Amino acid sequence: MKKRLYLELENCIGCRSCLAACTQCGGHEERNRNYVYDVNPLLNRQTMPLMCLHCVNPACARSCPAQAIQIHETGAVLSALVEKCIGCQNCTIACPYGIPKFDTEQNLMYKCDLCIDRSKDGIPPMCASVCPTNTLQWLTDDEIEAKQKQFNLDNGKWVTSLPYLEGETNVKVNLPGILQGVTKLF
Amino acid sequence: MQRDNYKNERDKYFKEIENLNHPNETLVKTHCSYCAMQCGMNLRVNTKTNKIIGVEPRYDWPVTLGKMCPKGVTAYQQVNHKDRLLKPLIRDDQSLKGTKNGFREASWDEAYELIVKRFTDLQKNYGKDSVSVYSGVSMTNEKCYLTGKFARVALQTRYIDYNGRFCMASAAGGLNRSLGIDRGSTIPWTDVHETDCIFLAGSNTADCHPTMMFRVWGIQERGGYVIVADPRETPVARRADLHLDLKPGTDLALANGIVNLLIQNGYADEEFVKNHTNGFEETKELVKEFTPEYTSEITGVAPEKIIRAAELYGKAPNAIVMFARGIEQQIKGVDNVSAYTNMALVTGKIGRAKSGVATITGQGNGQGGREHGQKADALPGYRKIANPDHVKYVSKVWGIEPEEMPKEGVSAFEMFGLMEQKTIRALYLLCSNPAVSAPDQNYVREQMKNLDFMVCVDFFLSESAEFADVVLPTTTWAEDEGTTTNVEGRIIKINRAQMPLGESKPDWQIQIEIAERLGRGKYFSHLKTSKDVFNELRVASKGGTADYYGVTWEKIDKQDGVFWPCKDESDPGTPHLFLDKKFNHPDGKAKILALPDRPSAEVPDEKYPLHLTTGRVVYHYLSGNQTRRIQFLRDMCPEPFVEVHPETAEKYSIEHEEYVRLYTRRGEATYKVKITEAIRKDTVFVPYHWGHEKSINLLTIGALDPYSRMPEFKTCAAQIEKMKTRAVQ
Ligand code: SF4
Ligand code: SF4
Repeated sequence: MKKRLYLELENCIGCRSCLAACTQCGGHEERNRNYVYDVNPLLNRQTMPLMCLHCVNPACARSCPAQAIQIHETGAVLSALVEKCIGCQNCTIACPYGIPKFDTEQNLMYKCDLCIDRSKDGIPPMCASVCPTNTLQWLTDDEIEAKQKQFNLDNGKWVTSLPYLEGETNVKVNLPGILQGVTKLF
Repeated sequence: MQRDNYKNERDKYFKEIENLNHPNETLVKTHCSYCAMQCGMNLRVNTKTNKIIGVEPRYDWPVTLGKMCPKGVTAYQQVNHKDRLLKPLIRDDQSLKGTKNGFREASWDEAYELIVKRFTDLQKNYGKDSVSVYSGVSMTNEKCYLTGKFARVALQTRYIDYNGRFCMASAAGGLNRSLGIDRGSTIPWTDVHETDCIFLAGSNTADCHPTMMFRVWGIQERGGYVIVADPRETPVARRADLHLDLKPGTDLALANGIVNLLIQNGYADEEFVKNHTNGFEETKELVKEFTPEYTSEITGVAPEKIIRAAELYGKAPNAIVMFARGIEQQIKGVDNVSAYTNMALVTGKIGRAKSGVATITGQGNGQGGREHGQKADALPGYRKIANPDHVKYVSKVWGIEPEEMPKEGVSAFEMFGLMEQKTIRALYLLCSNPAVSAPDQNYVREQMKNLDFMVCVDFFLSESAEFADVVLPTTTWAEDEGTTTNVEGRIIKINRAQMPLGESKPDWQIQIEIAERLGRGKYFSHLKTSKDVFNELRVASKGGTADYYGVTWEKIDKQDGVFWPCKDESDPGTPHLFLDKKFNHPDGKAKILALPDRPSAEVPDEKYPLHLTTGRVVYHYLSGNQTRRIQFLRDMCPEPFVEVHPETAEKYSIEHEEYVRLYTRRGEATYKVKITEAIRKDTVFVPYHWGHEKSINLLTIGALDPYSRMPEFKTCAAQIEKMKTRAVQ
């Protein structure tokens, strides 16, 4: 069954295990491809991962003049193809989340490919495998729907669906505030 | 006895996931080398080179389900690291002690000869006890067990102790006193997310034991409550339902205050108290004084919060009290443990699933390593050296006469005192790095420097190795096999994924070879493998409190670990303690203890107006000797820092990222300032994973808990000074 990356931002503790694990994916040349952001370090320890959301209609791929950014049949937006990437860095500017990274030495863009050698066979990507807090999860659409019901906030905003972002994404994100919908046991 | 229905059940988080197998690789299942979560992992081994080349999650390990913190993910990078010690090192020039210089490579034979000659000479001149052993618990049960035997039988010294004195000794003392048994947790960890209220005292869970966080959040997801008592707003405190932001060192008052409210407000379980405990009335009397207002005065926590904490814990159908080094590394650590355990005993929230008490063990084998006799007063199976019957039993297993068993020694920190007095003249140090981890470093380093002879066994040249005459290269955890006992009291299997690098040898082998050269081979030579050592440990622990006799490596494999006590082959082990409400004191009852409050060894005054507290960051482990060498972890946290509240910073006119001088009565160091509102205004925090001039333990105090002999790392009095000229690091 198809599974997706699902994010519950409120759970994050900033351990950056997701980034450490990213370097361990066989296809990642030991470079991590995503970000963990300190929301307001002078105030508190809140952090959140900033992961590629694998847009259905990705701005990075659209902006690429060389068709170097391929979309896998699973929906994963892949890293730039070495033989096609011309190093123009359009994609790094086009992405509304600032995800693609650029290797100046290789003159090559690299980004999260959802550990495609794993996720194409339904194996969770490294980040979602190790995340100690279940901020990053690997779920079926049914499980995601159940989550949506569980954390319904009455404002329709439990996923990133804001108009100025890039529209529909393959990765589903639960914004901070998940506990607002929970009824206390006593 | 009531049956324990726990069958290592696959809980709601469990998923069948197949691992990714790369071509030309095999996966060796094992556990992390670092903390007591002992996260399951697979090591990726290249089948052509037979070298470890990476890590793959172990999704089917029931406790952690493939999850790892960044230390675990990168742990394998220790094994073939360029800094590995590959040959024994000898330093002939004693004047270079305390530096990295002057070591030359030597053969094992030469190193052994020198060690045996120096130890024998010193023992001839100054007695057997002039040689000491200082050990650690970041290694297997097999090694911990053999180290105790090595000290008592091969070296015949009474002076052996271990770094658990900086880690678990107060928890052990408190749990033994309250419950009659020291198994760190009364419940398996798979119960945690099922409880209705967790009370976390002095545990920076998110940084120190990250892979239990999904279960902690799971409590809130079900509508349960998370309460955290900590001077800092750690990531777990940030999202807690209630954060009790107490002054460092005031846990005893806080616990008494909560117990008082539990009793006053009718949350005591009278049946349970009457049938299964002693000491309720005295405690009730004593805690009366700890009204919310009085407790608030001492702790600095608002009275409403104390009232709310007692209400939530009291009302919860099931609740777990958990604590860690925050409450234990104090001169009243043992009392703190018993005082928080009182919460469970008064309300009867112990001795059943989803309710109980646990200390969150620090080191990988912090549990097993304290059970089998490398503690100054202990023998295998949690036996006591002061008990003649215990000595008789263990002597028989070891093949010595009971009279030959050395007497009880002293605690780790007190060994430095004996070095100063020249009672101890030589040291065999393994699996520990006291030149970073002990308090009052100026004093400790001086004592190590003054030793007549010192051996350090490690796989990297640690700060402590800089004081050694001989350094022996040992293996990492992935080059040997054996067992550890995790945070739950579950005995698990560490597997070998690679043959020892260079000439390194596992500690047990080194000790057997030294024993043979000391002429004590007849007590050791029958042990050919680590499994032989485990099987001897099983017999040595048989009938003790920590009974491992029924544990076999095969059983561990078959049932995903075995919880002790496990008395015989048919016994599946004991995941939940006290299901029959029988505690381990002779009368079967637990002790509710009346514990008067007292101040910390050093409280802030005019000259030193701030509380200094120390702890960990998620990227480093203990003294940092391992993790500081791993690129990813170093990139994430390259140096220590001092956390300061913005109002405090303003008072001292210091800015974010400026270097300041921090000092106490014992020492000083320079740190980069990290301004954050997530700390009390009267407190500063520095992580302790660095050595030399960056060590915060230059400043900490060597005051000890009277029972556990654990130093008070968690509070002393300090002052900050703005630097005249800005230091360039
Ligand atoms: S691994 Fe999970 S908890 Fe840790 S930083 Fe990444 S998202 Fe956050
Ligand atoms: S350090 Fe502890 S929490 Fe982190 S991976 Fe290792 S055992 Fe797990």
